[in-house]
Amino acid sequence: MAATDTLPATTGDETVVRLGGAQGGWFRQVGWRHLVGLLALAFSLFPILFVVSAAVNPLGTLSSSELVPTGASFENFRKLFVDTAFPTWFLNSMVIGLLAAALSMFVSACAAFAFSRYRFRGRRAGLLGILLVQMFPQFLLIVALYIMFAYVSDLWPAVGFNTRTGLLLLYLGGALGTNTWLMKGFFDTIPKDLDESAKVDGATHAQVFFGLILPLVTPILAVTGLLGFISAVNEFLIASVFLTDDDAKTAAVGLYGLVSEERNNNFGVFAAGALVLAVPTVALFQFLQRYIVGGLTAGAVKG
Amino acid sequence: MAEVILDRVNKQYENGFHAVKDLDLDIADGEFLVLVGPSGCGKSTALRMVAGLEDITSGTLKIGDRVVNTLSPRDRDIAMVFQSYALYPHMTVADNISYGLKIRRMEKAEIDRRVKKAAEMLELGALLDRRPKQLSGGQRQRVAMGRAIVREPQVFLMDEPLSNLDAKLRVQMRAEIAQVQHDLNVTTIYVTHDQTEAMTMGDRVALMKAGVLQQVGNPQFLYDNPDNIFVAGFIGSPPMNMALAQVERDGDDLVVVLGRSRLPLPAAARSERPGLDAYAGRQVAVGIRSEDMEDARLVRGADERSRLRATVSLIEALGSQIMVHFLLDAPRVVTEDTKLLDKDAHAEEAPKHDATKFVASFAPRSRVRAGDEVEVVVDTERMHFFDPTTGDAIR
Ligand SMILES: Nc1ncnc2c1ncn2[C@@H]1O[C@H](COP(=O)(O)OP(=O)(O)OP(=O)(O)O)[C@@H](O)[C@H]1O
Ligand SMILES: [Mg+2]
Repeated sequence: MAATDTLPATTGDETVVRLGGAQGGWFRQVGWRHLVGLLALAFSLFPILFVVSAAVNPLGTLSSSELVPTGASFENFRKLFVDTAFPTWFLNSMVIGLLAAALSMFVSACAAFAFSRYRFRGRRAGLLGILLVQMFPQFLLIVALYIMFAYVSDLWPAVGFNTRTGLLLLYLGGALGTNTWLMKGFFDTIPKDLDESAKVDGATHAQVFFGLILPLVTPILAVTGLLGFISAVNEFLIASVFLTDDDAKTAAVGLYGLVSEERNNNFGVFAAGALVLAVPTVALFQFLQRYIVGGLTAGAVKG
Repeated sequence: MAEVILDRVNKQYENGFHAVKDLDLDIADGEFLVLVGPSGCGKSTALRMVAGLEDITSGTLKIGDRVVNTLSPRDRDIAMVFQSYALYPHMTVADNISYGLKIRRMEKAEIDRRVKKAAEMLELGALLDRRPKQLSGGQRQRVAMGRAIVREPQVFLMDEPLSNLDAKLRVQMRAEIAQVQHDLNVTTIYVTHDQTEAMTMGDRVALMKAGVLQQVGNPQFLYDNPDNIFVAGFIGSPPMNMALAQVERDGDDLVVVLGRSRLPLPAAARSERPGLDAYAGRQVAVGIRSEDMEDARLVRGADERSRLRATVSLIEALGSQIMVHFLLDAPRVVTEDTKLLDKDAHAEEAPKHDATKFVASFAPRSRVRAGDEVEVVVDTERMHFFDPTTGDAIR
């Protein structure tokens, strides 16, 4: 439908009917959307502006009265990378975030495929079980996990406290339930005829899964991958309990350490760290969003 | 290519529902067998058991000389065309067709040869690079056929492959599938609920009802010699006219009292059905095909007695014939079978209990109009008789 502002000008012909007056009509049909968009944009950009402002403020304070502080510089970024262990923390966050995202994506996809496609004893119980486990409050969980990992650290230090592997395992377990449910819902929308057709064509279960189903569920893979990455990178509670060595910390834990001791003073560096940490998330989103499209199964079945 | 043999095959679903009961079928090498029946009678279940997509609860299934009961679909050397086509949406037409060959690690040259041949056969050449969503319904149907053809399997299985197409395309594809099957001479089991497809396509037709096989045979044979009321009512369009009648003795002869008419039974018809004598003095269900009735004014020297008299309620002129609807003053046949048939045809209830809707096919020379009193000559040699309680044909 053509927007009103692109309507051809009247030629004086009496039969041409214009939809509303020139300005008023444009605003009622299109303009207000711009206005709402601008408001939403301002609302979400405002805090980011503050963080950017704090990050370039050499005084390291949050209570600056100017948006562009006097003597704005990249001093905070220099301090972040030189004076603190941030590069290590950042690397830890990336390794854990990417691995957690990729592994949980794969494990959940396998589980969801089984729950969606096969009928076996305990299927319903299993589905309900993983949902119930999700309901367990995290604070209680931490106590249990702490005790468990205290033993694990003694017996098998490679996956104990202060290791990436240990934390990764926890994150994988934590995301499994939600992801499996999310994916199973999506898998269920893929017609079963496709699997059966492939099976008759000679495909094994694995070939059906990798060659047929996975390409058709890329949107949900991208979504769970992205969510998994974001939650692993941002996770603080468990990480702060498990990672106490400075070298083992993730960026979230490390940055918190900067501001937890002397209030206010290091907020400039903290803000700089937060900005740096946002870069990979945005980049990953940019990369994955091309996969988050609908209609992949169009044309598969008719009916 | 191979024969397919089902020996007392049963299917009971997990919820206890007995969908296929003691199914016996011998399908010869290269034969086109149509499995037909009303919705929910277990046709798809039977086909899916042959495909290996459903477990066989009991009985044996042989393809060629192997018992394949426990083999997975990929090891049965079959190809299946689904009602929904089930094309792989992320692959091109060429990839869709060659998927089953690639997965079996066939040589590239051989794959190309087969895809090319199938594409030629089905006129898909120009579409090979397209995705399924860029195809029309008929083209998708062809791709699904192509995917089955290139496999060069022992058996084709098709589950209502044409039911998603519009009427005209359906007629065209019907002929095409029959042609392809004939050219390739591959044993085929074709499931449909459309009796026209069953009549026109099959070497033989197997008619099922509620999980039980009713009759198997050449389509014309089923049309002419239905074993029971269900087969008689299902095969043929319009369905066979049926009404309750009384068989009476008239000296040495038998007469059929149908409403106000007393139709004499010719000696030939009687000797073909020795069982009918036992029904003298009892009620039977009489079946008359619409083409076995004619306008009395068009038949010279027609027997005065072999006539039905009624008022025409509706005329459908089809050009080559005229379908004449009238109400006959004889009670309707009401059994489980006729109820099921009515439900399947979405037919409305007949108006009165003691009257039956009949459809006769007259030659176009007939000038009858709706509302006319008409005399209808019945070809009494071609009447069918069924036991009104069991529904079985009287022979
Ligand atoms: N998984 C199942 N569990 C229980 N009952 C089932 C299952 N699948 C099918 N049925 C039942 O088995 C009967 C036969 O089903 P089937 O799909 O073979 O019918 P059909 O003859 O192919 O019918 P249509 O023409 O509608 O496709 C139906 O009554 C159906 O409700
Ligand atoms: Mg079916």
